Amino acid sequence: MRTRREIRARKALWDRIAYHGIGIGTAFFFLAPFAVMFFSSFRPNSDSGSPPIPPWPRSGMSFDAYRALDTFGAGIGQHMFNSLTVSIGTVLLTVAVSVLAGYGFSRYRFAFKNVLFVLIIATLMIPFQSILTPLFIILARLGLNNSLVGLMLVYVTLQLPFSVFMMRNAFDAVPKEIEEAARIDGARDLKLLVRVLLPLVMPGIATVSIFAFLNAWNEFFAALVLLSSNDNYTLPVLMTAVRAGRLGAINWGAVQAGVAVMVVPCLFVFLLLQRYYMRGLMAGAVK
Amino acid sequence: MANGTSNRSVVLNGVRKSYGALEVIHGIDLTIEEGDFVVFVGPSGCGKSTLLRMIAGLEEVTDGEIAIKGRDVTDLDPSERGIAMVFQSYALYPHMSVRDNLAFGLKMARTDKADIDKRVAQASAILKIDHLLDRRPGQLSGGQRQRVAIGRAIVRKPDVFLFDEPLSNLDAELRVSMRIEIARLHRELGNTMIYVTHDQTEAMTLADKIVVLRDGRIEQAGSPRDVYEDPENMFVAGFIGSPRMNFLEAEWLGEGTIRVGKATMRAAIDGTGLAPGDRLLLGIRPEHMTAAEPGPERITAEVEFSEYLGGTRYLYCQIEDGQSIVVEQREGRDWKAGDKLSFAVPEDRRRFFAKDGRRLR
Repeated sequence: MRTRREIRARKALWDRIAYHGIGIGTAFFFLAPFAVMFFSSFRPNSDSGSPPIPPWPRSGMSFDAYRALDTFGAGIGQHMFNSLTVSIGTVLLTVAVSVLAGYGFSRYRFAFKNVLFVLIIATLMIPFQSILTPLFIILARLGLNNSLVGLMLVYVTLQLPFSVFMMRNAFDAVPKEIEEAARIDGARDLKLLVRVLLPLVMPGIATVSIFAFLNAWNEFFAALVLLSSNDNYTLPVLMTAVRAGRLGAINWGAVQAGVAVMVVPCLFVFLLLQRYYMRGLMAGAVK
Repeated sequence: MANGTSNRSVVLNGVRKSYGALEVIHGIDLTIEEGDFVVFVGPSGCGKSTLLRMIAGLEEVTDGEIAIKGRDVTDLDPSERGIAMVFQSYALYPHMSVRDNLAFGLKMARTDKADIDKRVAQASAILKIDHLLDRRPGQLSGGQRQRVAIGRAIVRKPDVFLFDEPLSNLDAELRVSMRIEIARLHRELGNTMIYVTHDQTEAMTLADKIVVLRDGRIEQAGSPRDVYEDPENMFVAGFIGSPRMNFLEAEWLGEGTIRVGKATMRAAIDGTGLAPGDRLLLGIRPEHMTAAEPGPERITAEVEFSEYLGGTRYLYCQIEDGQSIVVEQREGRDWKAGDKLSFAVPEDRRRFFAKDGRRLR
């Protein structure tokens, strides 16, 4: 007869196997597309048209696909630079504006505060495709059509309602006493914001940054409409050009390579900020 | 008093505060001497915290002026008033180590690095938190956090310490030890301290001077003994002391005598303005009533229930005409519900109040 201790140990073992088995299985489904993509981007040209399973290169590793990708537009380096400029610019500007706006909405009393806030949030309900034409005209008037700065401003505009909302919540969660203690300690205005409050709203800033970066990095439609010269294309626009192929033949290898190139910065940004991001999403959930 | 102003630490002169049309502080005049420990007490919503925050500069003053050490600070920034404040919620900077928390104010004031280190070391030694300097506030217990908060005030070397209910978040045992700690600190540092609390024990034990507030007005300011033994009105008499003072309806019989229930007793007050038959109130603290043989000066009552607290007992009674009283009994036999007993009220313990709450003397 087995002792209770053995029975318990056995049950615990099976529990662990089930737990990790399900976890590994789920992770497999999430990771498989990434694996397929990365593997197949290293296929040589001769392989690129063959069926996707098995995904790994069958006739040796090669960087053909990446070389092919570089022949499109002004070279992958230039487009990578365009995308990074727009995305990082969007992040910086969005964070700067939304931190100040969020702080203002959270701490100051002014006329029509809530009306104004609701108005800003309400713009989330407007599909941006519907205002693309007026945006195009405004940018043209400002002499910012076909410019990365113009595109960046559009992205910041689209990103702000959510960001201001997020930052207001983040500042609301900071106890007023901390701010008062800092005022007694002699920290005022910008110093107060930077030295005391900013570290406390880091989760909010991380969340806002991730969203701004991913949205700007992946945005296709506005970039397609607003950018007209080849040299200014951001990566998503370049990718359609790649996929459109030449004479109807699509270079699948180049497409896979392009996707791989696009994914890496997103992963990097997310992994860099995820620690704060999780806390940002949980903020205010309990207590 | 030509040189009388020199040892005045904080002077409030006609200080008022309104939120829109609603006035919450109605013209406070108060002088606090150098080195005094002053406690603001009052029921919640009486404006004690608001008043403290006005002294700190965290709330704007609508009217009147505030001077600290002879300097008008009414419109100065909090950091320029020579004050330091300890908050109920500690309000430590969670992202900084204890050391940085203590040093932050000095860094903001661009104090010399060596001087900062010296003052942080001094303050942490006084508060016995030297071994915690590299920790974050999140890793400290409530009592330790409160010490850090007090340390942050000490390093600023302020003229005036402000405490806003600093012990309310601590458990009962810790509250007592921190109370003693704060008293020790006051003795060692000798600074003026202003302390807000709703806890009477804290107020009575710590204060040199108690300021009782109600609805944005000072009801009485004086030493703990003054406010306890010689209250100026019914509110102060009822607010200070636990269990609270008993107020019994009485009838003025003229010539220094009153009737309470069926008892007749002397009232050593000036009866001008009172006509026989007028109503007034007799105030007696529970600990001043003693069980005694029945007699004409005795109040007789029936015990409704009694609470046994070890060292003392509280008897909740009803006197002949239906009014309730609480009696504190330290010795003698146990009384049960339904027992009848008589009380003597020593003449020098009797306090008399008019129907509108004024003290009759």
